[in-house]
Amino acid sequence: MKLFTFKTKITLLAVFVFLVNNTTVHAQKVVKDTVLIITDSIKPNGEKNYRAGWGILIPEYAKLQYAGSMGFLSLGGGWDYGKRKQWETDLFMGFLPHYSTSKNKITFTLKQNYIPWKLDVGSKFMIEPLTTGLYLNTIWGRDFWVKELEKYPNSYYAFSSKIRINVFVGQRITYKFNEDREIFKSATFFYEVSTNDLYLLSAVNNSYLKPKDYLVLSLGLKVQMF
Amino acid sequence: MFDSHPYDGQVTGDKGINAKNIARIEAACAGKTSIKFVSMGDTQRWYDETEEFVKALNKRNDIDFVIHDGDFTDFGATEEFMWMRDIMNGLNVPYVGLLGNHDCLANGEDIFRTIFGPENFSFKAGNVNFICLNTNALEFDYSRPVPDFEFIQNEIDKQQPEQNKTVVAMHARPYSEQFDNNVARVFQNIIKGFPDLQFCINGHDHHLQANDLFNDGIMYYGSASIDEKSYLVYTITPDNQYTYEVVYF
Repeated sequence: MKLFTFKTKITLLAVFVFLVNNTTVHAQKVVKDTVLIITDSIKPNGEKNYRAGWGILIPEYAKLQYAGSMGFLSLGGGWDYGKRKQWETDLFMGFLPHYSTSKNKITFTLKQNYIPWKLDVGSKFMIEPLTTGLYLNTIWGRDFWVKELEKYPNSYYAFSSKIRINVFVGQRITYKFNEDREIFKSATFFYEVSTNDLYLLSAVNNSYLKPKDYLVLSLGLKVQMF
Repeated sequence: MFDSHPYDGQVTGDKGINAKNIARIEAACAGKTSIKFVSMGDTQRWYDETEEFVKALNKRNDIDFVIHDGDFTDFGATEEFMWMRDIMNGLNVPYVGLLGNHDCLANGEDIFRTIFGPENFSFKAGNVNFICLNTNALEFDYSRPVPDFEFIQNEIDKQQPEQNKTVVAMHARPYSEQFDNNVARVFQNIIKGFPDLQFCINGHDHHLQANDLFNDGIMYYGSASIDEKSYLVYTITPDNQYTYEVVYF
Protein backbone atom coordinates (compact mmCIF):
# COMPACT_ATOMS: atom_id res chain seq x y z
CA MET A 1 0.00 0.00 0.00
CA LYS A 2 1.26 3.42 -0.85
CA LEU A 3 1.89 5.61 2.16
CA PHE A 4 0.35 8.72 0.63
CA THR A 5 -2.13 9.12 -2.22
CA PHE A 6 -1.44 11.75 -4.89
CA LYS A 7 -4.12 13.99 -3.37
CA THR A 8 -2.56 13.79 0.08
CA LYS A 9 0.84 14.65 -1.41
CA ILE A 10 -0.56 17.77 -3.01
CA THR A 11 -2.17 18.80 0.27
CA LEU A 12 1.08 18.26 2.21
CA LEU A 13 2.98 20.29 -0.37
CA ALA A 14 0.46 23.11 -0.07
CA VAL A 15 0.74 23.09 3.72
CA PHE A 16 4.53 23.09 3.42
CA VAL A 17 4.53 26.01 0.98
CA PHE A 18 2.14 27.86 3.27
CA LEU A 19 4.38 27.25 6.27
CA VAL A 20 7.49 28.30 4.42
CA ASN A 21 5.73 31.42 3.15
CA ASN A 22 4.54 32.24 6.63
CA THR A 23 8.03 31.80 8.00
CA THR A 24 9.38 34.05 5.31
CA VAL A 25 6.77 36.65 6.13
CA HIS A 26 7.76 36.37 9.78
CA ALA A 27 11.41 36.67 8.94
CA GLN A 28 10.73 39.76 6.87
CA LYS A 29 9.10 41.32 9.90
CA VAL A 30 12.23 40.68 11.92
CA VAL A 31 14.40 42.17 9.22
CA LYS A 32 12.10 45.16 9.04
CA ASP A 33 12.40 45.67 12.81
CA THR A 34 16.15 45.44 12.63
CA VAL A 35 16.22 47.95 9.82
CA LEU A 36 14.20 50.28 12.00
CA ILE A 37 16.67 49.96 14.90
CA ILE A 38 19.57 50.67 12.58
CA THR A 39 17.74 53.68 11.16
CA ASP A 40 17.26 54.95 14.69
CA SER A 41 20.87 54.66 15.61
CA ILE A 42 22.47 56.54 12.75
CA LYS A 43 24.80 58.96 14.44
CA PRO A 44 24.76 62.68 13.56
CA ASN A 45 27.81 62.19 11.34
CA GLY A 46 25.92 59.60 9.35
CA GLU A 47 27.93 56.63 10.67
CA LYS A 48 25.84 53.57 11.36
CA ASN A 49 26.02 52.12 14.86
CA TYR A 50 26.58 48.42 14.34
CA ARG A 51 26.47 47.84 18.06
CA ALA A 52 22.68 48.00 18.12
CA GLY A 53 20.61 45.27 19.76
CA TRP A 54 22.66 42.43 21.20
CA GLY A 55 25.74 44.12 19.83
CA ILE A 56 25.64 46.39 22.84
CA LEU A 57 27.29 43.54 24.75
CA ILE A 58 30.44 43.86 22.66
CA PRO A 59 33.00 45.74 24.78
CA GLU A 60 33.72 49.23 23.52
CA TYR A 61 37.35 49.15 24.58
CA ALA A 62 40.04 46.76 25.72
CA LYS A 63 42.32 47.36 28.70
CA LEU A 64 45.62 45.91 29.77
CA GLN A 65 46.73 46.57 33.32
CA TYR A 66 50.02 45.80 35.01
CA ALA A 67 50.00 45.19 38.82
CA GLY A 68 47.33 46.93 40.93
CA SER A 69 46.67 43.92 43.24
CA MET A 70 44.60 42.24 40.52
CA GLY A 71 47.27 40.08 38.91
CA PHE A 72 50.72 40.52 37.45
CA LEU A 73 49.02 41.34 34.16
CA SER A 74 45.26 41.71 33.60
CA LEU A 75 43.43 41.79 30.30
CA GLY A 76 39.88 43.01 30.03
CA GLY A 77 37.26 45.02 28.29
CA GLY A 78 34.41 47.26 29.20
CA TRP A 79 31.76 49.79 28.42
CA ASP A 80 31.58 53.56 28.77
CA TYR A 81 28.34 55.38 29.34
CA GLY A 82 26.81 58.54 30.73
CA LYS A 83 26.30 61.94 29.07
CA ARG A 84 30.01 62.67 28.94
CA LYS A 85 31.05 59.00 28.99
CA GLN A 86 32.13 59.68 32.55
CA TRP A 87 31.43 56.10 33.65
CA GLU A 88 33.35 53.01 32.65
CA THR A 89 32.70 49.45 33.81
CA ASP A 90 35.45 46.90 33.18
CA LEU A 91 35.83 43.15 33.49
CA PHE A 92 39.35 41.74 33.77
CA MET A 93 41.03 38.40 33.93
CA GLY A 94 44.36 38.55 35.67
CA PHE A 95 47.33 36.21 35.55
CA LEU A 96 49.41 35.70 38.68
CA PRO A 97 52.64 33.68 38.42
CA HIS A 98 53.23 31.35 41.36
CA TYR A 99 56.36 33.12 42.68
CA SER A 100 57.10 31.50 46.08
CA THR A 101 53.81 29.59 46.18
CA SER A 102 53.03 26.25 44.59
CA LYS A 103 50.60 27.30 41.84
CA ASN A 104 50.00 29.93 39.16
CA LYS A 105 46.73 31.72 39.83
CA ILE A 106 43.93 33.39 37.89
CA THR A 107 41.99 36.36 39.22
CA PHE A 108 38.83 38.13 38.06
CA THR A 109 38.08 41.80 38.54
CA LEU A 110 34.95 43.90 38.24
CA LYS A 111 35.97 47.54 38.10
CA GLN A 112 33.91 50.71 38.19
CA ASN A 113 35.60 53.92 37.00
CA TYR A 114 34.44 57.51 37.33
CA ILE A 115 36.14 60.05 35.08
CA PRO A 116 34.69 63.49 35.83
CA TRP A 117 36.75 65.67 33.46
CA LYS A 118 38.10 65.39 29.92
CA LEU A 119 40.42 68.13 28.70
CA ASP A 120 41.35 68.33 25.01
CA VAL A 121 44.95 69.24 24.36
CA GLY A 122 45.14 70.14 20.68
CA SER A 123 43.15 67.97 18.30
CA LYS A 124 45.04 64.74 18.94
CA PHE A 125 45.42 64.53 22.71
CA MET A 126 43.07 64.46 25.65
CA ILE A 127 43.93 64.47 29.34
CA GLU A 128 41.75 63.08 32.09
CA PRO A 129 43.18 64.64 35.26
CA LEU A 130 41.28 62.32 37.61
CA THR A 131 40.04 58.80 37.40
CA THR A 132 38.69 57.16 40.50
CA GLY A 133 36.60 54.18 41.51
CA LEU A 134 36.70 50.81 43.08
CA TYR A 135 37.19 47.21 42.03
CA LEU A 136 36.32 43.84 43.40
CA ASN A 137 38.88 41.13 42.82
CA THR A 138 38.47 37.41 43.30
CA ILE A 139 41.29 34.91 43.22
CA TRP A 140 40.88 31.28 42.19
CA GLY A 141 42.27 28.39 44.18
CA ARG A 142 41.46 26.02 47.02
CA ASP A 143 43.52 28.07 49.45
CA PHE A 144 41.03 30.94 49.29
CA TRP A 145 37.55 31.17 50.73
CA VAL A 146 34.74 33.70 50.61
CA LYS A 147 33.27 32.67 53.93
CA GLU A 148 35.46 30.97 56.51
CA LEU A 149 35.11 27.21 56.53
CA GLU A 150 32.74 25.42 58.87
CA LYS A 151 35.61 23.79 60.76
CA TYR A 152 36.38 27.12 62.41
CA PRO A 153 34.60 28.41 65.51
CA ASN A 154 32.30 31.38 64.77
CA SER A 155 34.04 34.52 63.45
CA TYR A 156 37.43 32.89 63.95
CA TYR A 157 39.15 34.87 61.22
CA ALA A 158 36.25 37.13 60.20
CA PHE A 159 37.45 38.07 56.71
CA SER A 160 37.44 36.61 53.21
CA SER A 161 40.76 35.56 51.73
CA LYS A 162 39.17 35.27 48.27
CA ILE A 163 37.53 38.65 47.70
CA ARG A 164 39.33 41.96 47.91
CA ILE A 165 37.87 45.45 47.65
CA ASN A 166 40.24 47.98 46.12
CA VAL A 167 39.90 51.75 45.76
CA PHE A 168 41.98 53.83 43.37
CA VAL A 169 42.75 57.26 41.96
CA GLY A 170 44.65 57.86 38.75
CA GLN A 171 45.22 59.93 35.64
CA ARG A 172 45.06 59.26 31.92
CA ILE A 173 46.31 60.64 28.64
CA THR A 174 44.66 59.72 25.33
CA TYR A 175 45.91 59.90 21.75
CA LYS A 176 43.14 60.00 19.12
CA PHE A 177 43.81 58.12 15.90
CA ASN A 178 42.56 59.18 12.50
CA GLU A 179 39.21 57.35 12.56
CA ASP A 180 39.06 56.84 8.79
CA ARG A 181 42.28 54.91 8.64
CA GLU A 182 42.73 53.10 11.93
CA ILE A 183 40.74 50.26 13.44
CA PHE A 184 41.15 51.81 16.88
CA LYS A 185 39.68 55.18 17.70
CA SER A 186 42.13 56.05 20.41
CA ALA A 187 44.80 54.73 22.76
CA THR A 188 45.02 55.75 26.40
CA PHE A 189 47.85 55.37 28.87
CA PHE A 190 46.95 55.47 32.54
CA TYR A 191 48.42 54.98 35.97
CA GLU A 192 46.64 54.36 39.24
CA VAL A 193 47.39 54.39 42.94
CA SER A 194 45.25 51.93 44.86
CA THR A 195 44.90 50.12 48.13
CA ASN A 196 42.73 47.27 49.36
CA ASP A 197 40.84 46.32 52.51
CA LEU A 198 43.68 44.19 53.93
CA TYR A 199 46.33 46.87 53.42
CA LEU A 200 44.06 49.58 54.84
CA LEU A 201 43.34 47.49 57.94
CA SER A 202 47.08 46.95 58.31
CA ALA A 203 47.84 50.66 57.87
CA VAL A 204 45.48 52.05 60.48
CA ASN A 205 46.55 52.35 64.12
CA ASN A 206 50.27 52.23 63.50
CA SER A 207 52.91 54.60 62.26
CA TYR A 208 55.38 51.98 61.10
CA LEU A 209 53.67 51.32 57.77
CA LYS A 210 54.16 54.17 55.33
CA PRO A 211 52.21 54.99 52.15
CA LYS A 212 54.86 53.16 50.11
CA ASP A 213 53.90 50.01 52.05
CA TYR A 214 50.12 50.11 51.73
CA LEU A 215 49.67 52.00 48.45
CA VAL A 216 49.94 50.09 45.20
CA LEU A 217 50.98 51.48 41.84
CA SER A 218 49.74 50.16 38.52
CA LEU A 219 50.09 51.05 34.84
CA GLY A 220 47.62 50.45 32.04
CA LEU A 221 46.72 50.81 28.41
CA LYS A 222 43.24 51.25 26.94
CA VAL A 223 42.32 51.03 23.27
CA GLN A 224 38.93 52.31 22.19
CA MET A 225 37.30 50.23 19.46
CA PHE A 226 33.75 51.65 19.26
CA MET B 1 54.84 49.41 44.92
CA PHE B 2 53.81 47.43 41.82
CA ASP B 3 51.93 44.85 43.86
CA SER B 4 50.45 41.98 41.84
CA HIS B 5 48.15 40.75 44.58
CA PRO B 6 48.09 40.61 48.41
CA TYR B 7 48.53 36.84 48.03
CA ASP B 8 51.01 36.95 45.15
CA GLY B 9 53.79 35.23 47.08
CA GLN B 10 56.35 37.61 45.59
CA VAL B 11 58.98 37.50 48.31
CA THR B 12 61.79 40.02 48.09
CA GLY B 13 64.66 40.47 50.53
CA ASP B 14 65.83 38.09 53.20
CA LYS B 15 64.84 34.41 52.92
CA GLY B 16 65.63 31.22 54.84
CA ILE B 17 65.95 33.18 58.08
CA ASN B 18 65.62 30.29 60.55
CA ALA B 19 68.49 28.33 59.03
CA LYS B 20 70.77 31.40 58.95
CA ASN B 21 69.93 32.39 62.51
CA ILE B 22 70.22 28.83 63.81
CA ALA B 23 73.79 28.79 62.52
CA ARG B 24 74.43 32.02 64.47
CA ILE B 25 72.76 30.67 67.64
CA GLU B 26 74.59 27.34 67.52
CA ALA B 27 77.95 29.06 66.96
CA ALA B 28 77.43 31.65 69.69
CA CYS B 29 76.10 29.17 72.28
CA ALA B 30 78.51 26.30 71.58
CA GLY B 31 79.88 24.88 74.82
CA LYS B 32 77.59 26.98 77.02
CA THR B 33 75.70 25.38 79.86
CA SER B 34 73.79 28.52 80.79
CA ILE B 35 71.28 29.81 78.20
CA LYS B 36 69.12 32.93 78.33
CA PHE B 37 66.47 33.33 75.66
CA VAL B 38 63.32 35.31 74.99
CA SER B 39 59.93 34.08 73.89
CA MET B 40 57.39 36.46 72.32
CA GLY B 41 54.94 36.35 69.46
CA ASP B 42 51.51 37.05 67.99
CA THR B 43 52.80 40.25 66.43
CA GLN B 44 50.08 40.29 63.76
CA ARG B 45 49.32 43.88 62.63
CA TRP B 46 50.98 45.35 65.76
CA TYR B 47 53.87 46.84 63.84
CA ASP B 48 54.61 49.73 66.21
CA GLU B 49 54.55 47.47 69.26
CA THR B 50 56.85 44.93 67.60
CA GLU B 51 59.25 47.72 66.70
CA GLU B 52 59.18 48.88 70.33
CA PHE B 53 59.98 45.34 71.42
CA VAL B 54 62.97 45.23 69.08
CA LYS B 55 64.25 48.55 70.42
CA ALA B 56 63.75 47.42 74.03
CA LEU B 57 65.53 44.13 73.48
CA ASN B 58 68.43 45.77 71.64
CA LYS B 59 69.18 47.72 74.84
CA ARG B 60 70.01 44.45 76.60
CA ASN B 61 73.14 42.44 76.06
CA ASP B 62 72.37 39.37 78.16
CA ILE B 63 70.03 37.54 75.72
CA ASP B 64 71.31 34.69 73.54
CA PHE B 65 68.41 34.57 71.09
CA VAL B 66 64.67 35.16 70.57
CA ILE B 67 61.90 32.72 69.66
CA HIS B 68 58.91 34.25 67.86
CA ASP B 69 56.04 31.97 68.84
CA GLY B 70 54.16 32.41 65.55
CA ASP B 71 51.42 34.53 64.00
CA PHE B 72 53.69 36.99 62.27
CA THR B 73 50.67 37.96 60.16
CA ASP B 74 46.96 38.50 60.54
CA PHE B 75 45.76 37.64 57.00
CA GLY B 76 48.62 35.49 55.73
CA ALA B 77 49.33 38.17 53.09
CA THR B 78 52.77 38.17 51.50
CA GLU B 79 53.53 41.79 52.41
CA GLU B 80 52.62 41.20 56.06
CA PHE B 81 55.33 38.54 56.35
CA MET B 82 57.91 40.89 54.86
CA TRP B 83 56.88 43.86 57.00
CA MET B 84 57.18 41.78 60.17
CA ARG B 85 60.40 40.12 59.00
CA ASP B 86 61.99 43.50 58.39
CA ILE B 87 61.10 44.66 61.91
CA MET B 88 62.34 41.44 63.55
CA ASN B 89 65.54 41.58 61.46
CA GLY B 90 66.34 44.72 63.43
CA LEU B 91 67.15 42.56 66.46
CA ASN B 92 70.81 42.46 67.43
CA VAL B 93 70.46 38.85 68.57
CA PRO B 94 69.39 36.03 66.23
CA TYR B 95 65.76 34.92 66.24
CA VAL B 96 63.78 31.97 64.90
CA GLY B 97 60.10 31.99 63.92
CA LEU B 98 57.40 29.38 64.49
CA LEU B 99 54.44 28.88 62.17
CA GLY B 100 51.24 30.38 63.60
CA ASN B 101 47.71 29.54 62.47
CA HIS B 102 47.23 32.99 60.90
CA ASP B 103 50.45 32.42 58.97
CA CYS B 104 48.76 29.42 57.30
CA LEU B 105 45.90 31.51 55.83
CA ALA B 106 45.50 31.47 52.06
CA ASN B 107 48.99 30.54 50.77
CA GLY B 108 50.74 32.01 53.82
CA GLU B 109 52.33 28.70 54.65
CA ASP B 110 54.31 28.79 51.37
CA ILE B 111 55.48 32.30 52.22
CA PHE B 112 56.45 31.22 55.74
CA ARG B 113 58.52 28.38 54.30
CA THR B 114 60.25 30.72 51.87
CA ILE B 115 61.04 33.44 54.39
CA PHE B 116 61.65 31.36 57.53
CA GLY B 117 61.95 27.70 56.54
CA PRO B 118 60.34 24.35 57.38
CA GLU B 119 57.53 24.47 59.96
CA ASN B 120 59.14 21.72 62.08
CA PHE B 121 62.75 22.31 62.99
CA SER B 122 65.21 21.99 65.82
CA PHE B 123 68.42 23.63 66.95
CA LYS B 124 71.01 23.36 69.67
CA ALA B 125 71.87 26.16 72.04
CA GLY B 126 74.73 24.99 74.24
CA ASN B 127 73.56 21.88 76.03
CA VAL B 128 69.87 22.53 75.33
CA ASN B 129 67.95 21.16 72.39
CA PHE B 130 65.11 23.30 71.08
CA ILE B 131 62.35 21.42 69.27
CA CYS B 132 60.07 23.78 67.31
CA LEU B 133 56.80 22.31 66.08
CA ASN B 134 53.82 23.14 63.91
CA THR B 135 50.78 22.40 66.09
CA ASN B 136 48.12 24.20 64.03
CA ALA B 137 46.18 21.05 63.23
CA LEU B 138 42.93 22.89 62.46
CA GLU B 139 44.60 24.50 59.44
CA PHE B 140 45.68 21.26 57.81
CA ASP B 141 42.59 19.00 57.63
CA TYR B 142 44.57 15.78 58.15
CA SER B 143 46.34 16.46 54.84
CA ARG B 144 49.55 16.49 56.81
CA PRO B 145 50.36 15.09 60.25
CA VAL B 146 50.11 17.92 62.80
CA PRO B 147 51.88 17.53 65.16
CA ASP B 148 54.28 15.46 63.08
CA PHE B 149 55.13 12.47 65.33
CA GLU B 150 57.51 11.11 62.70
CA PHE B 151 59.55 14.30 62.94
CA ILE B 152 59.41 14.27 66.74
CA GLN B 153 60.50 10.62 66.98
CA ASN B 154 63.37 11.24 64.54
CA GLU B 155 64.50 14.13 66.71
CA ILE B 156 64.37 11.93 69.84
CA ASP B 157 66.36 9.22 68.05
CA LYS B 158 69.14 11.56 66.92
CA GLN B 159 69.75 13.20 70.29
CA GLN B 160 73.42 13.76 71.11
CA PRO B 161 74.76 13.25 74.65
CA GLU B 162 76.09 16.85 74.70
CA GLN B 163 72.52 18.17 74.63
CA ASN B 164 71.13 16.79 77.85
CA LYS B 165 68.19 19.22 78.15
CA THR B 166 65.21 19.96 75.93
CA VAL B 167 62.72 22.77 75.42
CA VAL B 168 59.70 22.23 73.14
CA ALA B 169 58.25 25.32 71.39
CA MET B 170 54.94 25.52 69.52
CA HIS B 171 52.38 28.11 68.49
CA ALA B 172 49.17 26.50 69.80
CA ARG B 173 49.40 24.44 73.00
CA PRO B 174 47.50 21.21 73.66
CA TYR B 175 43.78 21.75 74.35
CA SER B 176 43.65 24.98 72.37
CA GLU B 177 41.13 24.81 69.50
CA GLN B 178 44.00 24.60 66.99
CA PHE B 179 45.62 21.53 68.53
CA ASP B 180 44.64 18.00 67.49
CA ASN B 181 43.30 17.28 70.97
CA ASN B 182 42.60 13.65 70.24
CA VAL B 183 46.36 13.17 70.53
CA ALA B 184 47.10 15.75 73.24
CA ARG B 185 48.15 13.09 75.76
CA VAL B 186 49.96 11.04 73.12
CA PHE B 187 51.88 14.19 72.20
CA GLN B 188 52.77 14.81 75.83
CA ASN B 189 53.94 11.23 76.35
CA ILE B 190 56.11 11.33 73.25
CA ILE B 191 57.80 14.68 73.94
CA LYS B 192 58.64 13.41 77.42
CA GLY B 193 60.96 11.01 75.58
CA PHE B 194 63.36 13.93 74.96
CA PRO B 195 66.30 14.17 77.35
CA ASP B 196 65.33 16.12 80.47
CA LEU B 197 62.38 18.06 79.06
CA GLN B 198 62.50 21.40 80.90
CA PHE B 199 59.23 23.00 79.84
CA CYS B 200 57.16 23.91 76.78
CA ILE B 201 56.53 27.38 75.36
CA ASN B 202 53.66 28.56 73.20
CA GLY B 203 51.91 31.64 71.81
CA HIS B 204 48.46 31.84 70.27
CA ASP B 205 46.23 32.65 73.27
CA HIS B 206 47.30 36.32 73.43
CA HIS B 207 47.78 36.37 77.20
CA LEU B 208 50.42 35.19 79.63
CA GLN B 209 50.06 31.57 80.70
CA ALA B 210 51.80 29.22 83.12
CA ASN B 211 50.08 25.84 83.44
CA ASP B 212 50.93 22.28 84.30
CA LEU B 213 48.55 21.13 81.56
CA PHE B 214 48.84 17.38 82.16
CA ASN B 215 49.59 17.43 85.91
CA ASP B 216 52.91 15.76 85.23
CA GLY B 217 55.26 18.56 86.22
CA ILE B 218 55.88 19.75 82.64
CA MET B 219 54.96 23.41 82.53
CA TYR B 220 53.52 25.20 79.48
CA TYR B 221 54.33 28.92 79.36
CA GLY B 222 52.42 31.14 76.97
CA SER B 223 53.65 34.52 75.75
CA ALA B 224 51.14 37.37 75.41
CA SER B 225 50.45 39.02 72.08
CA ILE B 226 52.89 41.85 71.48
CA ASP B 227 50.25 44.58 72.01
CA GLU B 228 50.38 43.67 75.71
CA LYS B 229 54.00 44.91 75.52
CA SER B 230 55.59 42.04 77.34
CA TYR B 231 58.02 39.25 76.63
CA LEU B 232 59.25 36.26 78.59
CA VAL B 233 62.90 35.64 79.49
CA TYR B 234 64.00 32.10 80.36
CA THR B 235 67.29 31.26 81.96
CA ILE B 236 68.42 27.64 81.96
CA THR B 237 71.33 27.14 84.33
CA PRO B 238 73.72 24.20 84.93
CA ASP B 239 72.34 23.54 88.43
CA ASN B 240 69.45 21.77 86.76
CA GLN B 241 67.07 24.63 87.32
CA TYR B 242 65.48 27.24 85.18
CA THR B 243 63.89 30.59 85.93
CA TYR B 244 61.56 32.75 83.88
CA GLU B 245 60.47 36.33 84.17
CA VAL B 246 57.93 38.55 82.48
CA VAL B 247 59.41 41.79 81.17
CA TYR B 248 57.21 44.74 80.23
CA PHE B 249 58.52 47.34 77.81
